[in-house]
Amino acid sequence: MANRTDPAAKSIRGTNPQNLVEKILRSKIYQNTYWKEQCFGLTAETLVDKAMELDHLGGTHGGNRKPTPFMCLVMKMLQIQPEKEIVIEFIKNDDYKYVRILGAFYLRLTGTDVDVYRYLEPLYNDYRKLRQKLPEGKFSLTHVDEVIDELLTKDYSCDIALPRIKKRWTLETLGSLEPRRSVLEDDFEEEEEKEENDQLDGLEDEAHEKDYYRGRSPARERDRDRRRDRDRYRERDYDRDYDRDYDRERGRGRDRDRDRERDRDRDRDRDRDRDRDRDRYRLRDEKDYGRDRERDREWEGRERERRDRDRGRRRSHSRSRSRSRDRKDREGGEHRKRHARSSTSPRRRDGAEENGTREEPKKKKERKEKKEDGTDHPDPEIAEANRLRASLGLKPLK
Amino acid sequence: MIEVVLNDRLGKKVRVKCNEDDTICDLKKLVAAQTGTRADKSRIQKWSNIYKDHITLKDYEIHDGMGLELYYN
Repeated sequence: MANRTDPAAKSIRGTNPQNLVEKILRSKIYQNTYWKEQCFGLTAETLVDKAMELDHLGGTHGGNRKPTPFMCLVMKMLQIQPEKEIVIEFIKNDDYKYVRILGAFYLRLTGTDVDVYRYLEPLYNDYRKLRQKLPEGKFSLTHVDEVIDELLTKDYSCDIALPRIKKRWTLETLGSLEPRRSVLEDDFEEEEEKEENDQLDGLEDEAHEKDYYRGRSPARERDRDRRRDRDRYRERDYDRDYDRDYDRERGRGRDRDRDRERDRDRDRDRDRDRDRDRDRYRLRDEKDYGRDRERDREWEGRERERRDRDRGRRRSHSRSRSRSRDRKDREGGEHRKRHARSSTSPRRRDGAEENGTREEPKKKKERKEKKEDGTDHPDPEIAEANRLRASLGLKPLK
Repeated sequence: MIEVVLNDRLGKKVRVKCNEDDTICDLKKLVAAQTGTRADKSRIQKWSNIYKDHITLKDYEIHDGMGLELYYN
């Protein structure tokens, strides 16, 4: 009598709600002492008290598959079938995380698809730790959002086969649900906006470049004015800067080089600040490889443009002095190149380098693996057995 | 390579090819692939000795052609 479902309970998915748990597991729960002692005559209110005492979740463990108290309480909820409001209260409560998980699990078993997504998705933002009992009997660490993810994506959890629910995009196309909005979306949007602004800046610089080569243009004059303001105290440089634009093609004299280096250093400082800001953003979301690639492209564009600028300037005849300076500058540039690159995903650089060398050992490996796997064994039965073993992750037959 | 016979006394009798140094867990996976039950739902016994997952067949002294009992959890 104690194991009968409440006669007023509705049938779930066409059957007695307790049948959601399969027969063997159900009998194990009925024979469990926790069930017999603690779960006798529980109502919705007293169930809450028992749920608050939970300290781990899990399915069955051990050689003879003993169920956990969590399982027994799930079974009890299926038996008494509390109201939907009560279950939602379980989920909404913030203090007791195991009560939350219990409510979420029950809703996943018994609720409609829309309800499941609507009430379980907010729990993705809960990062608290949970203790989970593994089938071997040991405990492992997991988190609330991991468990919710399992409930929503997998079809088996805690030794219970979860009922099938429709996929999210099906419900979205039907119009029952809105597209998924993550809490982190606002953060991503901010990042994207900053990305776009940086890109726009990069494009403007390239436009400056083109004007530079075309000779005297408003952009170039703007740069010249900027530099002029900066060396207000250095009248010599002012003249030289002004002269430089006229004599760039001829490249007269060492002094000009010296000024060019100095200006270049100043420009570099400006660029370095910009790079540093960019690197900060880069480090923050290193996981977003697509974005990194964009930034690399933009960065390389700047390098190229800087190189072009330098090339244009270095068309001087006085090579000795400028050469030593150039070397230093070049090394400085490369050093910074190396430094900046190391903050991006190293995969890209390594991938490009190792691609050539990796292909050869890969081919050798493939040839070897065929023999190691044993899937090409002459005996077809054994070959098939080996194929199965390989798919399970086992070594081939001896 | 040895071949083990698993009998579940309800109509399922499977012959499984495996290595001696496979563990019971691997054997359960192979059985699951052949019968269609889940690997963690099955239990391999000999009389009342429930065989543990992490021990190899060689250590349990399971030889070629030996019969084992298949139960479910």
